Order: sequence, then structure tokens, then C-alpha cells
Amino acid sequence: MVIKIPQIEIDRTKCTTPFACKVCLEACPQSVFRVTPTYEKRGMETPKDEPGAWELYAMYRDQCTLCGICVDVCPEGALKIIT
Amino acid sequence: MCRLCDLYGDGGVWYLNPANYSRQLYKLRRPGEKPKGPEENPEVITEAKVREAIQIKMEEPERWEEALREADEHCSRVLAYQVIPLEEAKKIVHVAAPLASMHCICRKMHSGIEETNEDEYSCLGLGVGMLKWERWPERYRGGVHFVSPEEAEEWLEKWDKRGFVHLAMTFGVPYIGGLCNCQYPDCAELRYPLDYGFKYRDTKSHFVAELNPELCNGCGVCAQRCQYGALKFEPRTRKPTINMLRCWGCGLCQTGCPRGAIELMSRDSIPVLANEIGYRR
Repeated sequence: MVIKIPQIEIDRTKCTTPFACKVCLEACPQSVFRVTPTYEKRGMETPKDEPGAWELYAMYRDQCTLCGICVDVCPEGALKIIT
Repeated sequence: MCRLCDLYGDGGVWYLNPANYSRQLYKLRRPGEKPKGPEENPEVITEAKVREAIQIKMEEPERWEEALREADEHCSRVLAYQVIPLEEAKKIVHVAAPLASMHCICRKMHSGIEETNEDEYSCLGLGVGMLKWERWPERYRGGVHFVSPEEAEEWLEKWDKRGFVHLAMTFGVPYIGGLCNCQYPDCAELRYPLDYGFKYRDTKSHFVAELNPELCNGCGVCAQRCQYGALKFEPRTRKPTINMLRCWGCGLCQTGCPRGAIELMSRDSIPVLANEIGYRR
């Protein structure tokens, strides 16, 4: 049987500096999200506050339990769970 | 003897073999060659394949089993991680040099935890790689903290007490470049085998936990420390039972037991476990 995995839609126009905010990362009990720098330069840290320098992914969304905490805590309203 | 010892142990335990900490193994570059970027690290390539397979599970679930098999086959060629109990990890810090604690990249990416000073640093970098941390401040966020082997032992005990699984990790197999302190679910190396069933990504330790019921007083501390779901508390006997097939031999139940009722015995002494996929094969 193929189980339907929830979609977690991340609105990147609203979620621009996920590592500076990281509310969803801390809140998710299943650690579904992952944040990565979009570039890495020798000799400097990727700035947290630069829009687009960090990107949020729902990498392990098959582990999502649809609890909805991430949607509630997101200060930008950028997250949406689609079942 | 695990599969890594077979390949890189020179007849002994691979992570105690000084050859596997040799400076010459670290990103070996011949004269005239350009330096290789992280994208050419065998571990980084494998990691990418593992992640790709996980994404296939989300996008095309019907292809998942095939993707898992393919990625696992790749992992079997680049064995990169092994669970190490505390006592063995303490031996490693006397073989590798230099030693420096640093932040954990898994917890940073998966939970947004930023470790900013030596009290918080939960990852131990081994070898010459630690000397070039200034070049990649993003990877070595906030710098590194060099420690002596004795300090490293204390540091390992601290994280063991808090209930973290120790893992040896390689940077270009068999070069051992780090000792992680991991926890489920933030750490990818616990998540891959437990949530996704990767069998070759991580190697089980040389040990397996065994309970001596006569010494056990049923306090239940061990049950809180097992991250692999191998040890459960049985209400009927008021003592734990350990599922050896699920035990990875991290030894957290043993180090946490106030009565010394749990011992680590050699995985090789148990016929089924000695030849298990995830350990020997």
C-alpha cells in the first residue's frame, strides 16, 4: 500500500531568512525541516539576515504527523500543510 | 570484527588503527593537482544519494524501494559511520591528534541549535582538518576549541551522561575525522537507519548490551537512554528487556545504570549478530 505523504508548502517570498527566524525548526517535534545555506564562501559565514542566503526544506515530511504546530508558530504565515 | 575492520583494520580494530588517522589520508592531493572541493568527498556524494532517495520517497513513493536499494548499495561502498561506546571513544582520543571540539552541523540544520562556545560544542573534530577551520567559518561556525586527550575524555563523559550516542565519522574513508554525539531525531545518522531503513550507511558497534537481572533494581534509567528502541521496561518483571537485534551497542544504558547491571559484551560472541547486515556484512 502506498501511503499518501503530506505536502508542506513553504512560501519562499514570505520565508526569506529561515535561519535567523528558525521558529519552525525548534518547534517541530519530528524534526521534519532542514535549513541549508544556498552558498558558502571561503573565509566568511553565510549571513543569517540576508534574504535568500538560507533556505528551508521540509526534507523529512514523510515523518510529519500533521500536528500543525509549524503552521501555528510561523510568524510570516509562510507554511501550509496540504493533505 | 566489523566490516570496517575487515577492510581497514589491518587485523585489528579499525578505529584504533593509527593508519586511519594518518595526515596523508586527509584529502590527498598530488603535486600539480587542484584542491578538491567538498563536493568530491566520497561521504558528501553518498550523503547526496541518500537524500535523493529520501526525496524520491516523498515525490514518487512507488519508486522508494528501488531508490533505497540503490542508495544503500552505494553506501556499502563508502562505509562512513560507526557507533562507538564511551570506553572505546576514550581510546580514540589517545590515537588521533589534534583534537578540537566544535559545533554540531546536524543539530544546526535540523533544529536551528547554534552552539557558540566550548561548553556547548558537541562534536569532536580529529586530525589536521581542524587546523584549517578559519577558511570555512560557516562549517566551523564560531571556531573550534582545541583540547588535550584528557580533556576530551572528560568532554566525552559529559555528553555520554546527557545521553548522546557516540559515532566515529570518516572524511574520505578510511580517514577518521570526527567523533559525533548524536541524538534521534535531529541527527541524520540515527534517522537514516531508524526511519528509512538504510542498512549500510551506519555500522553497529562491536558490542551489544546484556542485562544482569540480579543486579537490576528496576529504576528505569536505561529505558530513558536507549535511542534505538532496543531496550524496553517490562512492567511485569519491573526490569528491562533488551532486543539484541535492535541494539546498536552504543552503551548508553550501560553507562547510565547506577547498579552496574548492564554489561557490554562482544557482538562477535553471538553467532547471529556476528554476521549481521549492518555489522559484518
